[in-house]
Amino acid sequence: MKTIDIIKEKRVVSDKLKEHRKECARLKKLILNALKEGEKTIPQIAEEIKEPLDMVTYSLMSARKYGDIETGEIDDMDEYFTYKIAKKKK
Amino acid sequence: MNYDVMVIGGGIAGEEVAINLANLGYKIIMVEKDYSIGGKMIHLSKVFPTLDCAACITTPKVSETARHENITIFTHSEVKNIERISDKEFNAELVQHPRYVTNDCTGCSICEDNCPVVVRDEYQFDMVGRKAVFIPFSIASPRIAAIDIENCILCGLCEKVCPADCIDFTQEEEVSGITVKSVVVATGYNLFDASQIQRFGGGEFKNVVTAMQMERQLVPTRPFNTVLRPKDGKMPDNIAYVLCVGSRDKTVGNPICSQVCCMYSTKQAQLLMGALPMADVTIYYINIRAFGKGFNEFYQQTGDMGVEFIKGKVGRITEKEDGNLIVRYEDIESGKLKEAEHDHVVLSVGILANTDYQSMFNNKAVLESDPFNYVKQTQELCCPPKTSIEGVFVAGTAAGPMDIPDSILSAGAASAETASYLRSVKN
Repeated sequence: MKTIDIIKEKRVVSDKLKEHRKECARLKKLILNALKEGEKTIPQIAEEIKEPLDMVTYSLMSARKYGDIETGEIDDMDEYFTYKIAKKKK
Repeated sequence: MNYDVMVIGGGIAGEEVAINLANLGYKIIMVEKDYSIGGKMIHLSKVFPTLDCAACITTPKVSETARHENITIFTHSEVKNIERISDKEFNAELVQHPRYVTNDCTGCSICEDNCPVVVRDEYQFDMVGRKAVFIPFSIASPRIAAIDIENCILCGLCEKVCPADCIDFTQEEEVSGITVKSVVVATGYNLFDASQIQRFGGGEFKNVVTAMQMERQLVPTRPFNTVLRPKDGKMPDNIAYVLCVGSRDKTVGNPICSQVCCMYSTKQAQLLMGALPMADVTIYYINIRAFGKGFNEFYQQTGDMGVEFIKGKVGRITEKEDGNLIVRYEDIESGKLKEAEHDHVVLSVGILANTDYQSMFNNKAVLESDPFNYVKQTQELCCPPKTSIEGVFVAGTAAGPMDIPDSILSAGAASAETASYLRSVKN
């Protein structure tokens, strides 16, 4: 018997937490889908998927932290980096 | 459990006290509420005015503390009901919170990679996410995973994938009694919550960050790939620092100077000039307090590097549609109100007393506070570590705002006084 089964008898996961997980997964999926076509900057991704800039930054950087996304080149104005799907998960 | 000294807090001051006393042969119990020892210093980039790497200074101390045969560390634990039971001893309750991961964890991160929940990473000051099962940070000690049970969806994936069978959801809070001869309070400080001053937009405007958030952007284990605006990932080129946010300010209940903000801001400005060579950095200040050894030279050097220091009291910050920020301030030299546009603003937040110590002692032994809620030093001039309870000493910023060298000096003094006290109760 796994210990997870024991704690499940004592704790209940809130609906709010379940919704939060779903929302994070949805946003990450949208970002990864947007990057399938090629490297993009954060404003370009946010405009394409119609999500708030700050949430795209947060979600993209979290995915980058866990090796799903890599940093590309900086644009000609030295303002925004592009991001791309990581070739191989670190 | 019997020990000679209980050190409460595993930051730089607590580590210094523990190592000094352990080297004298005393048995030490260190109680740290966080998942790792190292305190706040372990999260810093560099120290002022030498610009030495903070982690390079603190990790050897962390390692020495963790490996010392005379030091027993309890992380993710608290101490309650400290009570003097005789002239020579204190009793206390040690509360060990469950980590849901056993000490056999190798820190491989496989559980973390597989966890489906992402929540704000408090060790990156909320700028990026972490998983519900996570290794707190790369140089954590102990470097083992922990489960944030409040944010765990109980999917069981971590337990399924752990190659060392270290996940244990049956762990529960454990309370045990300890007896010690002396106590050293090294509980450190809290940072001022910038959202309390709404006119600066902290917490509301994403491109207004705290100095600790900027500090994280300047370390090698930074949340982003370089220094970027949290709102849109733009590389900033015109950064402003606002000093004295939440310190020297009666309106927020903290009238005293935090002693470190001028210098950490100056340090960050120098580091930013290196990280973003094309960027303009402006520091809005009331007075620059560069009082320590080499501080004034460091401040002058920063000005020579091109950082602009404006003697100005900032009244309000507003956000433009493009995320840039308008800083409205009183130019103290001319007495005029002015406005300036920046694309990134850093609030140099002050430090506040960590009042956790107030609930650690039971009613029979009250550890007195000073007017600013720090631990009261009953003989501040002739014996700074002494407190209102015989046998209880204070070290580091638990006694008041101070920088890292002064915290270590304070810890050295606390070690000496504790050793002297232990000899006296032995006889």
